[in-house]
Parts: sequence; structure tokens; C-alpha cells
Amino acid sequence: MKNVLLTGCSRGVGLVITKVLVSKGYTVYGISRNLSNEYKNLMNSFPKKIKFKSFDLSNVNDINKEVFKNYIPNSTKLHAYINNAAIAYDDIITNLNVDRLENMFKVNVFSPLNIVKYAIRNMIFNRNSGHIIHLSSISVHTGYKGLAMYAASKGALEAFSKNTAREWGERGIKSNCIVAGFMETDMSSTLGDDMKNRIFKRTSLKKPTDLNSVANTIEFIISGNAKSITGQNIHVDSGTI
Amino acid sequence: MNNKDKLLTIINEVLEGTQREKMSKIKDEYNLRLDIGFDSFDLAELTVRIEEVFDIDIFEDGIVETIEQILIKINEK
Ligand SMILES: NC(=O)c1ccc[n+]([C@@H]2O[C@H](COP(=O)([O-])OP(=O)(O)OC[C@H]3O[C@@H](n4cnc5c(N)ncnc54)[C@H](OP(=O)(O)O)[C@@H]3O)[C@@H](O)[C@H]2O)c1
Repeated sequence: MKNVLLTGCSRGVGLVITKVLVSKGYTVYGISRNLSNEYKNLMNSFPKKIKFKSFDLSNVNDINKEVFKNYIPNSTKLHAYINNAAIAYDDIITNLNVDRLENMFKVNVFSPLNIVKYAIRNMIFNRNSGHIIHLSSISVHTGYKGLAMYAASKGALEAFSKNTAREWGERGIKSNCIVAGFMETDMSSTLGDDMKNRIFKRTSLKKPTDLNSVANTIEFIISGNAKSITGQNIHVDSGTI
Repeated sequence: MNNKDKLLTIINEVLEGTQREKMSKIKDEYNLRLDIGFDSFDLAELTVRIEEVFDIDIFEDGIVETIEQILIKINEK
């Protein structure tokens, strides 16, 4: 039985990742602040395979106790941690608000880094060559007006992931980023049609990124079929140019 | 089993994990790196295994270099 810790399970990409992983036999330990109806329905369909814990990732210091000791102790052998939860703070740089910036970095960066700390500890305790996957964004590689602060938080994850791969490769632990293009979820729902069209024009396929292709790429990376892939940024972005 | 024997068992688990020879005893003054031969990955594993048994993170505040320093932290708890 392969256990996966997935943050941001309640909506958007996280919900699709949950469906794909469960269909492949994984057990999903989901985390988000709210239990959505969709996730609740999934739990009812697969009661043994889908777990849920409500936790607010802005509480960086409670990770060890709440996420690990009380939810995923060492006796639960962790196969993968998928860092999917995130918030987007969208504004131009001259409007930067430090409190909002700090909160975004707590959720997008500080908590995920702290979770990686304990995920690796679980993996070395269990002598398990596990996986760490971060959801990054194409905005790190192709600038967009209004996304500088958000992109900075994702760039931090990409740097951390590369170094995690280097540091822990010797123990078989792998770390990769999925660099997603624009997807139709709540996160992007505030963008106007004009902005969306400009984003699509910069892709080869002229389409939003398909959530299933993101979820299935993640499943491929953590399956036994991609053992030699680590330290990579894998673009799933409709060919953004 | 006293704490020192428990610690010896944990150290041997770490050594066994990388196919190294087990130790029959440990002395308070043993240096983890120099006398036992642990590198930083072994020390990370040691920390995790000690935390599992004693519920204490020995490296959380400062550096620990000898068996005695670990025992002090465990006994203080
Ligand atoms: N949408 C895009 O265009 C796009 C593009 C590139 C990359 N990405 C990345 O893809 C990932 C998934 O994004 P999405 O579009 O699915 O976003 P979304 O629809 O906004 O969902 C975000 C998820 O994160 C959870 N979350 C947010 N704040 C949280 C907190 N403080 N504590 C715990 N959980 C929290 C939410 O659950 P609760 O609200 O219940 O807490 C929700 O499940 C993110 O990392 C995002 O940066 C998205």
C-alpha cells in the first residue's frame, strides 16, 4: 500500500490528483482547510483509500505535531509528498503588501519546506526511497504582469527541489517540480477573458493546461516507471513559449 | 533496558541499515563521527530513530557530538 500526502486536496488540481491516485491504488492523505463536497463524496466512495485532515498551512510551526505525529506518524510509511496547495497573490509590484506577501510565503513556501523536512524523516525512518513533488508554475519561467510575488514563491520551490534531489539522492529520495501552465480552476477564476486570451496566445496549443495531464504526469513520476527522474522541472503547460 | 542500552540498539539499527558492523558497547565519551563513523545522513537517521523512541529531537537546539551529550538530552526529558 503506497501512502501519499497531498496538500490542497479539496478543489482544483488536488481533487483531480486524488482521483487519479486512488484509481491507481494509492492511499491519499489529503490536507486542506475545508472539506469540500466533492472530496467528501470521494471519501465515501473509497473510505479506506482517502483520508482527510483540516489544516491551515499558514501555521508553519504546527506541522510536526498536526501533520505528522497526529496524522502521518512514522508507522505510516510515506511514499510521496505532493505539495499542491498554494495561494496566488496577484498585484503589481508597486502595490506589494508585506502582510499578504508573508502569508503567501508561509502557505506556498515555508510550510512545504517544513513538510519536506518531516517527510524525509519519515522516509529515512522507513528506509523508503520516496518522492517529493512540488507544483510550480510557468510564471517562474515566462513573466506575467501581476504575478511577480507569486512567481517568486514558486521559484523558491524549484530551487529547493533541485537541492533536495542533490542532497538526498544518495538515500534514494527523489524531488521534482511539475511546472504547470494556466489551468481553469478557482485560482485563475479572477482573471478576465482578455488576460486569459493573452495567456493562451503564448502557448503552442492555444489552450489551457488539462488538469488530468498534470495529475497523470505526477502519477507517472511517483510510479516505479520513472525511477531515474529527479531534480527536474517537468513542464506540463500546453507548450508555453 | 536502560537508556544507554536503548541508545546502543538504535545506533546498531543505523549501522545495520548500511551493512556496517554492529557495536557491542558504547562509551560516554565516544564521538559520533570520529569513533562510530557516522556521517551527516547517519546522524539524520539517528535523530529520527531517537525521536521515535524518546520523543525528543536531539539536534533541535545546537550540536550534539558525543554519546554523553545525547544521554543528557534524553535523561533531561
Ligand atoms: N490554476 C492555475 O492556473 C495554476 C497554474 C500553475 C500552477 N498552479 C499551481 O497548481 C496548484 C493547484 O492550484 P489550483 O489551481 O488547483 O488552486 P485552487 O483551485 O485555488 O486550490 C487550492 C487548494 O489549496 C488549498 N489551500 C489554499 N490555502 C490553503 C491553506 N492556507 N492551508 C491549506 N490548504 C490550502 C485549497 O483548499 P482550502 O481552500 O479548503 O484550504 C485548495 O484545495 C497550486 O500549487 C498552484 O500554484 C496553478
